[in-house]
Amino acid sequence: MPDYGQIAIGGGTLSSSWFLGLAAILFTLGAIGVLIRRNPLVILVCIELMLNAANLTLITFSRQLQDLDGQLFALMAMTVAAAEAVVGLAILVDISRVRELEDVDELDELKG
Amino acid sequence: MTLQALTLAILVLPAAGSVGLGLGALRVPRRLVQVVGPGTVWVAFLCSLVLFVDQLTNGGRSHDFTYWTWLSSGDLQVPVDLFVDRLSVFMCLIVTGVGGLIVTYSNGYMEHETDGSYARFFCYMDLFITSMLLLVLAGNLVLLIVGWAGVGLSSYLLIGFFYWRWSAVVAARKAFVMNVIGDVGMILGTFVLFAAYHSVTYAGIFAALPKTDSPLLELAAFLLLVGAVAKSAQLPLHTWLPDAMEGPTPVSALIHAATMVTAGVYLVGRLHPLYDLAWIAHGAVALIGTMTALFAASIAIVQTDIKRVLAYSTMSQIGYMFLAVGVGAYAAGFFHLMAHAFFKALLFLGAGNVIHSMNDEQDMRRYGGLWGQMRGTSICFLIGSLSLAGIIPFVGFWSKEVVLGDVFSKPDAGGFPQAMWAIGFATAILTGFYTGRMWWMAFSGGPSPERPVARPHEAQAVMMVPVVVLAVLSTVGGFVQINAGFHPGWKLIEDWLAPTFGPLPWQARDLEYIPTAATLLLAGLAFWPLADAFYRRRIWSVWSERLPFLQRLLERKYYADELYDRLFVRPMDAAAEAGDQLLEAPVIDAAPAGVGATARGGAGILSLAENGLFRTYALVMLAAALVGLVIVFAVRG
Repeated sequence: MPDYGQIAIGGGTLSSSWFLGLAAILFTLGAIGVLIRRNPLVILVCIELMLNAANLTLITFSRQLQDLDGQLFALMAMTVAAAEAVVGLAILVDISRVRELEDVDELDELKG
Repeated sequence: MTLQALTLAILVLPAAGSVGLGLGALRVPRRLVQVVGPGTVWVAFLCSLVLFVDQLTNGGRSHDFTYWTWLSSGDLQVPVDLFVDRLSVFMCLIVTGVGGLIVTYSNGYMEHETDGSYARFFCYMDLFITSMLLLVLAGNLVLLIVGWAGVGLSSYLLIGFFYWRWSAVVAARKAFVMNVIGDVGMILGTFVLFAAYHSVTYAGIFAALPKTDSPLLELAAFLLLVGAVAKSAQLPLHTWLPDAMEGPTPVSALIHAATMVTAGVYLVGRLHPLYDLAWIAHGAVALIGTMTALFAASIAIVQTDIKRVLAYSTMSQIGYMFLAVGVGAYAAGFFHLMAHAFFKALLFLGAGNVIHSMNDEQDMRRYGGLWGQMRGTSICFLIGSLSLAGIIPFVGFWSKEVVLGDVFSKPDAGGFPQAMWAIGFATAILTGFYTGRMWWMAFSGGPSPERPVARPHEAQAVMMVPVVVLAVLSTVGGFVQINAGFHPGWKLIEDWLAPTFGPLPWQARDLEYIPTAATLLLAGLAFWPLADAFYRRRIWSVWSERLPFLQRLLERKYYADELYDRLFVRPMDAAAEAGDQLLEAPVIDAAPAGVGATARGGAGILSLAENGLFRTYALVMLAAALVGLVIVFAVRG
């Protein structure tokens, strides 16, 4: 495992590669979920997963570099994610009032 | 009121009448139209009379009234100036006087039109007279061209007055196109004169004219002659005039008598210093006039439509005027112009009376027997006919004798004037013959079985009065100049125009009395016994039965229309068709069509990306992000 630096945690240190690797796995899972799942709720969840993977990366580097900017940015990303979830869910609720929605592929009205 | 303002008023009054009637066409009450339409022309006539008195008392001094500068660009100075001399006053009196009678007459003739059409008609008539007055009063060639084109425009509007009739629209278009050919000649001629002498005013051009002839001068004179020939319906630009009979009869009277066709004669007269120098173009004027006179008279013999006979007789008489001004006998030409205005207006208005009472039938073969039933019109028409035929003592006799006499006596080594005189002489006999034929066919004998109205009513007073006035003028008008041939006497027209034209440059010879007397006798014989024998008593079978070829040739008007159709219309159509097939479809249409097809195809490809599926967009974004990452790492090595 390549060593990109150490992070102090607990009483010892841990290579930041572990955290970054976890973030990459989470991001990939989220991306795959967005691409292959059709249920809109699951897709929203997967998007959250990708955002959190990004947050984890930010915090990892923040700790490694002893710079709080990354953690502040993660907080900001969470706020944006919350707002985005609100908008996304509201749209879904609105659509489901008009019709039954199980598959996002049915939503192709914007076809050019 | 100064003379300058008065001269402008001559133009402004009919123009104001025209504009007022045009703007208020549907709302002006008919009674007001009847007052304004002719009224403005009559007031202009009164103004012209004042100018006449001025010219009479001041001994022929000309005025050049400049109102304002129209164009000013380097050498090119075009003032708005009106030139008042003996000639323009002479023309103004004819245009407003005879024109006023014709417009008054229209009050009755157009009575069956709707209110809108009625006002429209008088609007056009006033516009016509305005344009003609501008033409004769203009003090420079540019202003002259404005009036010249205005005459063409208003004739177009009036010939196509019954715009719901296809033939009228076609005739109007033909007249307009023919006239525009002439306008182009006029404009080019003006360009040449300006390029050579740096002036467009008459005074400037005449002052700059050289002492001797030059090719440039001939070119200018010939180009201007194209305009004159087109406007005066001379060969070879004559075909519009007979078709112009599609207009209402007063329009024909106006075109033929008071305005329009005399413009060409006026132009040559006005620019006589130019034509006196450019002797080739001047000779061409006379030659064209002579040929047209004979040509038109021969066609008139076989026409059966009364208005067409009159139309061809106009061409023929204008030919006489061209002959006269072409040999340099300007005063004689303008005397004949005046005489023709009187008797041709009389003939057209008389024919209008007959047509009006015959429910718009114009075929003479379906008249007959009108002498007993429309006595007043018949007498007036007879006076006009005798005048046209040139029988003493009517006005046509005196003027035609002066024309032929002056032409005959012109000394010329080549004998050309004498040859032209011979043709004019033959034409005079033909004139007597076809006029007699018209008279006998329409008025004498019993009613034709095909006559549309059994008991025609005589025309109403408003139509009869102008006809009677013109009949009186045609009877006594000739006595203003009775010096023709063997009967020396006063010559008021020649004296009146002398300040403009100078005296006749040659001495009339005694020998004239022979042709004069001969014309008189032969035209009278042709009119009376010969035409009577052919057409009333039918002593001899008409030539048409013996010479069907000749009959057909004349009826088809020497195939001039067909010739132009073959020479110009059809090649033009064919060229247009070829252009459509070879250029329009494969090149001009193809270019925008290709652009459109390309855009549409490209859009079709691009629209594949816009399939509306959320997951596709997500995939593309992700893939792009990956590609971006790969590139970043590749660059950083």
